[in-house]
Amino acid sequence: MDRKLTGKYAIVGVGQSPLGKVPDMGPLDLLAVAAKNAIEDSGIDKNDIDGLITRGPDDINNHHQRIGQVLGLDVNFSTSTDNGGASQIVNVAIACMAIEAGMCNTVLVGYARDSWSRSHRNRSANMMVQTTDPSLARREFGPEFGMFGAPVNYALSARLHMQQYGTTKEQLGSIALAFREHAQRNPLAFIQKPLTMEDYLDAKTIVDPLSFYDCSIFADAGGAVVVTTLERAEALAQSPAHILGFGFGNNLRGWHYGDHMVNTGAKRAGETAYAMAGVGPKDIDAAQLYDCFTQMVLLQLEDYGFCEKGEGGPFAASGALRLGGVLPTNTSGGQLSEAHAEGMLQVVEGVHQARRDYGPDRQVKDAELVFVSGHGGATTCQSALILGNHR
Amino acid sequence: MTTYNKPIPVPSPSTEFFWTGVKEHQLLLQQCDKCSAYRFPPSPICPECLSSDYTVKPVSGKGTVFTFGVYHRLYSPAFEEDLPYTVGMIELEEGPRLVSNVVGIAPDDVYCGMPVVVTYDDITDDATLYKFKPAG
Repeated sequence: MDRKLTGKYAIVGVGQSPLGKVPDMGPLDLLAVAAKNAIEDSGIDKNDIDGLITRGPDDINNHHQRIGQVLGLDVNFSTSTDNGGASQIVNVAIACMAIEAGMCNTVLVGYARDSWSRSHRNRSANMMVQTTDPSLARREFGPEFGMFGAPVNYALSARLHMQQYGTTKEQLGSIALAFREHAQRNPLAFIQKPLTMEDYLDAKTIVDPLSFYDCSIFADAGGAVVVTTLERAEALAQSPAHILGFGFGNNLRGWHYGDHMVNTGAKRAGETAYAMAGVGPKDIDAAQLYDCFTQMVLLQLEDYGFCEKGEGGPFAASGALRLGGVLPTNTSGGQLSEAHAEGMLQVVEGVHQARRDYGPDRQVKDAELVFVSGHGGATTCQSALILGNHR
Repeated sequence: MTTYNKPIPVPSPSTEFFWTGVKEHQLLLQQCDKCSAYRFPPSPICPECLSSDYTVKPVSGKGTVFTFGVYHRLYSPAFEEDLPYTVGMIELEEGPRLVSNVVGIAPDDVYCGMPVVVTYDDITDDATLYKFKPAG
């Protein structure tokens, strides 16, 4: 594995929008605020930003052409990618590659969406919870059988995992409970209400075996980061989070093909990222894993090598994911409790942990290596990023 | 026939033959002339070997439930009376997997690996759905 990019680039600024119910802001506004906060956090003059990458185009509001206009940016390089919730790490990686290729020097990466506001405008909006353009919706081989929404694919996976490995509902619940406990330490998290195993097990079923607390929350949320060279990072007051590795694995034959819904592309994504960083899963101090559903966390714990295949349930139930556990995970509350910005806030929290920004109540002690993941694109895309406190 | 208000499949150019078959209570799949692989969803190209040569063949309609989920949440008012209903991935004995409903059995009694066989549901004068019921 070619390791020439490891440690050459860094994230030097992070920002987020208000999270939760923000009815007076659309996705473009949320992203604008997050971007402003990231630029200010970095200490870089906004006119020095010469690259811009956003997640698109399924939510055209975040398109690079529109946010660039809002932020008053004329840049050398900009684009919008479409790997769903895997896009954010794709975009951090493209930023590094574009800088390496001499296309630009300092790249703003961001994403926001207004899922709470959009899904609460009226009853039909709440029922369908559209986050994509309805004209792009599948019109055969799904809806005619009542197959709607995102939970079903993870329910199919959970069912198979339960049957193959004996995974239990309580083990999935331990993931939701751990992240909720972390959200209670995060004053900006949307949902901070305590969650007990009884609450979890008594909650309404969505698509069995998944129930309410297995699903990520609808929130208005945005995040942004600034990526630049190590040389430039070292000249800034803000301490950098070093980009040590990234990797991708996209099972484009689909979630329903072969064993993909149990053995995901995360395995390849992780192996590539570990090789680039020259580390392994045992070296990781904290993880920010894409948690659209509890089941997806469980699969990634296995596929990224934090435990053996089939052991994700017992690993999560052991308390491993809690602050103080062997792999503190989603330390801001994640998409299950903090807010869901398609993995953007995972990157933001990864940077905070790698920079050791927090006090002892939230900081993973002496965090050296933080693993961040993304997932999406109708379940096919996986992305992994390894951030370091040092090069 | 009462008004049918659930989504009716909208065929695309490459899936027209499939839905025409279903209308005639036949499950038709493309089999590659070069490598013999059956494929689904329909496509002009074999995803195994990229051959453009294929033959449309009726398949057995027999398979197993690869995995399934049971809808308790309502996403479309048209399905209100069906709750809870089962959406499964059916693995045909010819290989391909199809999304469909598992009918004629309580959701609690369905299991991964359960043998099933196709059954047809004429939803309107012009449209038919393929569903799966326990075999035997």
